[in-house]
Amino acid sequence: MATENPNAIVERRLGNLSNPMRAARITFFVLALLASVGTQAAPPRAEVMHWWTAGGESAAVRALADAYRAAGGVWVDTAVAGSEQARAVAVSRIVGGQPPTAALFNTSKQFLDLIDGELLGTVDAVAARDGWDRTLPEPILATIRVRGHYYAAPVSIHMPTWIWYSKAAFRKAGVTSEPATIPELFAAFDRLKAAGLIPLAHGGQPWQENILFRAMLANVGGRDLYLKVLRDRDPRAIQSEAFKNVLLTFKRLKAYVDVGAPGRNWNDATALLITGKAGVQIMGDWVKAEFAVARQLPERDYGCIAGLSPQAPYIVQGDAFVFPKSSNRDVVAAQQLLAHVVTSPAAQVAFSKQKGSIPIGKGFDSATLDACTRKGLALMADPTRVVGNDENYLIPDQNGALSDILTTYWNRTLAVEAVQKLIAVALTR
Amino acid sequence: MSSRRAARIGLTVFLASVAFCFLLPLYVMLVTSFKSLDEIRLGNIFALPDTLSLDAWRAAWSTVCTGVSCEGIRGGFVNSVQIAIPSTALAIAFGALNGYALVFWRARGANVLFALLMIGAFVPLQVMIYPLVRATAMLHIFGTLPGIVLVHVIFSMPLMTLLFRNYYTALPVEIFNAARVDGAGFLRTFAHVVLPLSPPIIVVAAIMQVTGVWNDYLLGLVFAGRDHLPMTVQLNNLVNTTTGTRQYNVDMAATLLTALVPLVLYFASGRWFVRGIATGALKG
Amino acid sequence: MRGRLLNFRRISVYVALLPMAITACAVYLGTTLWSLRVSFSSSRTFPTDNFVGFAQYARLFTDDRWLLSLTNLAIYGTLVIVVCLALGFWLAALIDAQARGEGVLRSVFLYPYAMSFVATGVVWQWLLNPSLGIQEAAHRLGFEQVQFDWIVDPDKVIYAVAIAAIWQSCGLVTVIMLAGLRGIDPEIWKAARVDGIPAWRVYVSIVRPMLAHSFATATILLLTAVVKLYDVVVAMTQGGPGTASEVPAKYIMDHLFGRANIALASAGSIVLLLTVGILLAPALYLRRYATRLAAR
Repeated sequence: MATENPNAIVERRLGNLSNPMRAARITFFVLALLASVGTQAAPPRAEVMHWWTAGGESAAVRALADAYRAAGGVWVDTAVAGSEQARAVAVSRIVGGQPPTAALFNTSKQFLDLIDGELLGTVDAVAARDGWDRTLPEPILATIRVRGHYYAAPVSIHMPTWIWYSKAAFRKAGVTSEPATIPELFAAFDRLKAAGLIPLAHGGQPWQENILFRAMLANVGGRDLYLKVLRDRDPRAIQSEAFKNVLLTFKRLKAYVDVGAPGRNWNDATALLITGKAGVQIMGDWVKAEFAVARQLPERDYGCIAGLSPQAPYIVQGDAFVFPKSSNRDVVAAQQLLAHVVTSPAAQVAFSKQKGSIPIGKGFDSATLDACTRKGLALMADPTRVVGNDENYLIPDQNGALSDILTTYWNRTLAVEAVQKLIAVALTR
Repeated sequence: MSSRRAARIGLTVFLASVAFCFLLPLYVMLVTSFKSLDEIRLGNIFALPDTLSLDAWRAAWSTVCTGVSCEGIRGGFVNSVQIAIPSTALAIAFGALNGYALVFWRARGANVLFALLMIGAFVPLQVMIYPLVRATAMLHIFGTLPGIVLVHVIFSMPLMTLLFRNYYTALPVEIFNAARVDGAGFLRTFAHVVLPLSPPIIVVAAIMQVTGVWNDYLLGLVFAGRDHLPMTVQLNNLVNTTTGTRQYNVDMAATLLTALVPLVLYFASGRWFVRGIATGALKG
Repeated sequence: MRGRLLNFRRISVYVALLPMAITACAVYLGTTLWSLRVSFSSSRTFPTDNFVGFAQYARLFTDDRWLLSLTNLAIYGTLVIVVCLALGFWLAALIDAQARGEGVLRSVFLYPYAMSFVATGVVWQWLLNPSLGIQEAAHRLGFEQVQFDWIVDPDKVIYAVAIAAIWQSCGLVTVIMLAGLRGIDPEIWKAARVDGIPAWRVYVSIVRPMLAHSFATATILLLTAVVKLYDVVVAMTQGGPGTASEVPAKYIMDHLFGRANIALASAGSIVLLLTVGILLAPALYLRRYATRLAAR
C-alpha cells in the first residue's frame, strides 16, 4: 500500500488550512475543548491515615468521612491500629515519597521533627478564615501553631483523668454521695473494700499508671505544680514536698487495686465497673463507648467526676491531622477542605457523640450531647482551669522516660526521694 | 513384654498430656469466639458458650468495621495470597540455590558472605526499615507489590539459606560426585540430582516462609502500599485498637480465620515427609 | 577443553551467588554500618549528623530497663532454646516411631506457629491471670493451694513469657527434627534390633549425632527468634508489670518509633548484635577446632 503524502492527509482531515479564518476557528475550538477539560477538575481526594479502627472510634471517623463527602470531597481511608504504629507508618510513607493526604497525630510535640524537616504543609488560610485562635483552647493552639504557622487541624479533645464510678457498686458499699475531695475518695475506697468489692479498677499498663499519676498531680498538686513539673520541668518543683505528696498519694492508690491488675486492658477494667464488681475507674472519656455497648447510661448507671476540688485543672488531650507537604495543587486543595470540614461544628458534634470526646471550637448545639460531655464543656469554657496533657509539653523521649519511672515506682518498692531524683534527671535531660 | 507395654502406655500418656497443654489456648479461643460479649465480660474463660453463635465469625469475615470501611477481614485475603505466593517461591528458590552453591561448590569468599547473612538474621527488622524505605523509594518500588515481595525475600534469605545448607551437608556427597563425573553442570546437577532429594526440607522451608509472610504485619504495612495491604493489617486493626471497644469474640474468630491458610498447608504437607528419600536414591 | 568447562561452571556459581552477595553486603552489612553511624549521633525521628560520641551507649548502660532486658534475654533465651530442642526432639522421635495419627499430631504441635500472636497473647494473658485463668479454675475445682500467678509477679513474669514462647516455637523444631529423622536409613533400625540394642540407646548414641545438622538449624532458628522476640511480650504483658518483662527488641522498638529516638535504638541494636556475636563466636571456634581435631 503506497503511503499517502502527509500534506494530503492533513488536507483530507482538516481541509485547506491555508484559509486563515478556518485555521482560527479550529484553533479556537481546540482551545475551548482544552479549557473545558481543565475546569472539570476531579473532586478533592484525601487519603487519610489514622488509628481509629474499632467500635465507636470507627463510627466516629465515618461521621467525619460523611461530612467530607457532603462537602464534595472523596475520603480514602487508611486505618492502622495503634497510635505509635500509625504514626510510624505515616512517617515511613512520607520518607518513601508516598505520603497520605493527611495523617493523625496527637496535639503534642510528636510532629516537631517533621516540621523541622520541612515535610509538613500549613493550613494558615483555613485557620484565619475559621478563627482558630479565638475558638480553640490554648494548650491545643500551642501545639498546632509553631513559629507562627498552623501545621495541624485538631479533631478531638479528650480528658484522660475522669473519675468514673459504678452507681450499683456505690449503693452496695453504702457510699451515698459523690466524692468531692481526695479524703472523700479514699473514704469511698475504704467502704468499697469493706463491702468486698474492688475499690479501684485498674489495668496494669504503663500508660494507665501514667493516667493515675496525672490525676493525682492535677487533683493533689494543683494547677501551678502541674505546670511547673510538666511544662517548665523545674527541678525545684520536682524535688519539692508538694510533689513528694503527689507521688505518695499515687502510690497509696495501689493498695486499692486488685491482684489481677497487671497487664489488664482498660476495657476489661471498665467491664469490672459495668458488672458491678468494682467501684471506681480513673480513665479518659473514651470509656463512655464501652458503657454504651453494655447499654449503661450516665447519671443512671455510672457517674463521672471531672476533678476533686473546685479549682482542679481540666487536662486537655487531643488528636490532630497533619498535612504532608505537597506541590500538587489538587492535594493542597483537598487538605484545605479537610482542615475546614473536620473543625466545623456540625462534623464535630457528629464525631464527638460517637467518640466520647468534646467537640472542638464554639457555636454548636450541645443539647444532644450526654451529661458528662456537657460537664466537660462547661469546665473547658474557663481558660484558667484548662491545662495541656503531658505530651503537650514533653517530647516523646522525655514522656517515655517519665512513664518508665512511674511504672517502676508503682510496681516495686522505691524510696520516694529516689523517684523524685530520677524524674528530675529524666525530664531535664 | 509387660515392661515394653508399660513404656508404651507411659509414652502415650506423655504425648497426650503435652497435646492437652498445647491445645488449651485453642480451646479458649474457640469457646470465646462463640460467646456473646455479655458472656465474655463475666470472665469465665473455660466455660462453654451458652449458645453456639456464629455471629462473631460472620462479623469477622465480612461486616466488622476497621476504620471507615466495614467489610471485615476478607478484603485483605487476596492481597495476602498475592504477596505470599511469589515471596515463598522466590525465597525457597534462592535459599536452595544458595545452600547448594555453598555446600557442593565451595566458592571462594562464599562462607564470608554466609556469615554476613547470618549476622543480619539477628538484627531486629524494625531497625532496618528506615534505610530500606529510602532504598526502595530510590528504586521506585516503594509501596508496590514487587517492593514487598523483594523485602520479604531479603529478610528470609538468611534462614532459608541456613535451612538448605544444613540439610545438604547431610546428603551423601557420592551422588553429587557421580553427577559431576557424568559431565553435568551447575544447574543440571541441581535440577536433576539435588532438588529431587529436597522435598522434606522444601516442606519445612515452605511452612516457615508461608507462615512468616502470611502473619507478617509491619513489613506489609510499610512496604506494600495502600492497594496491597495484607489480611494481618485488618486483623491488627480489630485486635489492637487503642481507645475503641474490644470485641473479643470477633477478635478470636478473625485470628482463627487468618490462621486457616497456614494450618491447611501444615495438614496437607504430610505427604512429603516421606522416609528414606536420600537412601532410596543411593540404592536405586 | 576441561579447563574451559570448569571456568564456565565457576562463573555460574558466582552468578548464582550474586543475590546472596548483594543482600549480605548492601542490605545487611550496609544497614548495620548505617545503624552504627546513627548510634553515634543524637538523631530523634530522622537521622542527623549531630555526633555525640558514645553518649547513647552511656545512657544505655545506666538505664535499668535496658540492663533488665538483657538479663531477661539470657533467662528466657536459655529456657526456650533448651526446652524446645529437648521437647522437639522427643516429640519428633515419638511421632516418627508410631505409625498412627501423624498428621493430627504434627498439626497439634505446629498450629501455635500459624497463629498471629496479637490475639493468642490475650488468651495467654487470660490463662495465666490469677483471677481469670488456670489458678482460678484450680481453686474452683477445690485445689485451693495452687498458685500460678507468675504473670503478675515482677520476678517471675519472664517465665510466663517463656512458656508462651515455647508453646509457639516447639512445633517448628519438631518438624525440623522430623524432616531430619526421615533422612535416616531405616536399615539402621533393623540392624540395631538384630544386635539387641534398646531403642533409647539407638536414639541417643546413633540417631542424635546423625541429626547434628537438624539440631544446628533448630538452634540458630530458635536463637534468632529469641533475640528478636517482640510480639509475645507486647501481646502478653506489654513489658510489665512495670518493666519487669522488658526484652531488648521491645526496648529498641519503643525508642525507634514511640519515643522518636532512633540514635538510642540503634545503639541498642548494635549492643544486641555484639552480645550475640560474643556468645556465638566461642561456639563456632569450638566447632571448627573439633572438626579439625577429628580430621587429624
